[in-house]
Amino acid sequence: MSTDVAVPYLDISDPSFAMHSEAVRAARAQHWFARTNYGVAILRHEYVSKLLKDPRLRQGSGKWPDHNGVHSGLFYDWWTQCLLVLEGDDHHRIRRLLNPAFAPKHLEPFLPRFEALARELVNDFIDKGELEFVNDFAEPYATRVLCILLGIPESEWPTIARLASTIGLALGVTLKQDLGVVEDALEELYGYAENLIADRQANRGDDLVTTLVQANANGDSLSDSELRNALCLLIFGGMDTTRNQLGLGIMSYLHNPDQWELLAKHPELARNAVEEIMRTNPTTTWVTREAMVDFDYEDLRVTAGTTVHFFTQVSGTDPEAYPNPEIDITAERVPHYGFGGGMHHCLGHFVARADMAIALTALSERMTNLRISGKDEWLPDSGNTGPVRLPIGFDKR
Amino acid sequence: MQINVDRTKCDNHGQCTFSAPTVFRLDEQGILQHETTADESLRHDVEEAADVCPAQAITVTD
Ligand code: HEM
Ligand code: SF4
Repeated sequence: MSTDVAVPYLDISDPSFAMHSEAVRAARAQHWFARTNYGVAILRHEYVSKLLKDPRLRQGSGKWPDHNGVHSGLFYDWWTQCLLVLEGDDHHRIRRLLNPAFAPKHLEPFLPRFEALARELVNDFIDKGELEFVNDFAEPYATRVLCILLGIPESEWPTIARLASTIGLALGVTLKQDLGVVEDALEELYGYAENLIADRQANRGDDLVTTLVQANANGDSLSDSELRNALCLLIFGGMDTTRNQLGLGIMSYLHNPDQWELLAKHPELARNAVEEIMRTNPTTTWVTREAMVDFDYEDLRVTAGTTVHFFTQVSGTDPEAYPNPEIDITAERVPHYGFGGGMHHCLGHFVARADMAIALTALSERMTNLRISGKDEWLPDSGNTGPVRLPIGFDKR
Repeated sequence: MQINVDRTKCDNHGQCTFSAPTVFRLDEQGILQHETTADESLRHDVEEAADVCPAQAITVTD
């Protein structure tokens, strides 16, 4: 075991820490992992690919409330029993019930509705030559996609968006301070999900809640509260992520106009266009695991309880895995880890991939010459990132 | 029923093991091991595994 390599150190809690920075790139060039003020960070693609799915690691979000001073209550109970945090038999059982509903063949019938939605939203702003991308497109689109999937009337999207965003505050370091509003929102969402389940038990629809309720009817099933918790997780995990990823995506193409024009001419490249933004500019800039046992991996010594961060943007632009790491929507690439990996691989990735491809197509076919047209505001470039406000000017085509 | 996994696509996520645990499993290194044939009675589970595979690496033939 070599002891002569200097292991880089990154302070990931420093407010000025950024994934897209020379310091992080230099750390990746220096070594495959870095020590941080809170666990270790895996930087290179080869090692992310191998270790992310290592059976000695569990999903690392379970201790988040405890780390932030929250040890009980409604949010605590939901979080510590949700799919993302569960392991073993309970995780398998719930995931097995949910997985088929999110498989491509179940999603196919929804795609024309996503297309119509994207066109409707674009029509609303296209003559203005300008939009605030988060409010005018990304948030209504991401939320209404979920409404369509779950059979919630689309007109109710502002309520769903508000609840999802409020619960999203729980991912901030101010969790303890925000706990009151987070729990109020979660309670409201519980009520919403319970009504939805009861309604679909009584009246079949053509939505995923109906699919899940029916799958749940034949044995090996989830309790009503498990199904409710899962629906709340879908809403929570599906809205902010898609909204933020679309904002990051449009920004990537604003900076790469040749790629945007290529997409406009070749809408068949839209799926690749999604992969490229998730590889180079992912909203989930790290995916977290926690060691269950002590082990050595090459020159890394991991002790039980250690947090391991997998840096997705950093590994997604690693020149060893991607010799030309810049966005290229025509390139064949090895997989990125923007949707995580292994047993906890994102449940909604087929939906997100399909709906974002549809969104990018609808936007690129009508808009060219994208530019920032006002003051933009961003979440920090670490953890879960994305624009808070993104005014964009464009020429109509 | 014949089961084929395209190893150039498979990324060892193990989602297939939820659907058909007697056909697909991850070894101690976390690498996918699988049967290449399975009894007709497992068709539903194996096809489900192919449907849900994030990398769409599994094909099932008669
Ligand atoms: C661009 C959009 C999205 C991104 C970037 C994203 C990203 C992620 C990531 C990084 C994970 C954790 C994976 C891990 O720890 O290995 C995850 C898990 C999850 N995601 Fe997504 N996601 C997106 C959209 C969605 C959508 C639309 C849904 C549902 C409709 C969804 C539902 C879930 C669920 C339920 C989990 C937990 C899975 C488990 O632990 O077994 N996600 N997602
Ligand atoms: S789900 Fe697909 S990618 Fe994952 S181990 Fe099975 S075959 Fe491989």
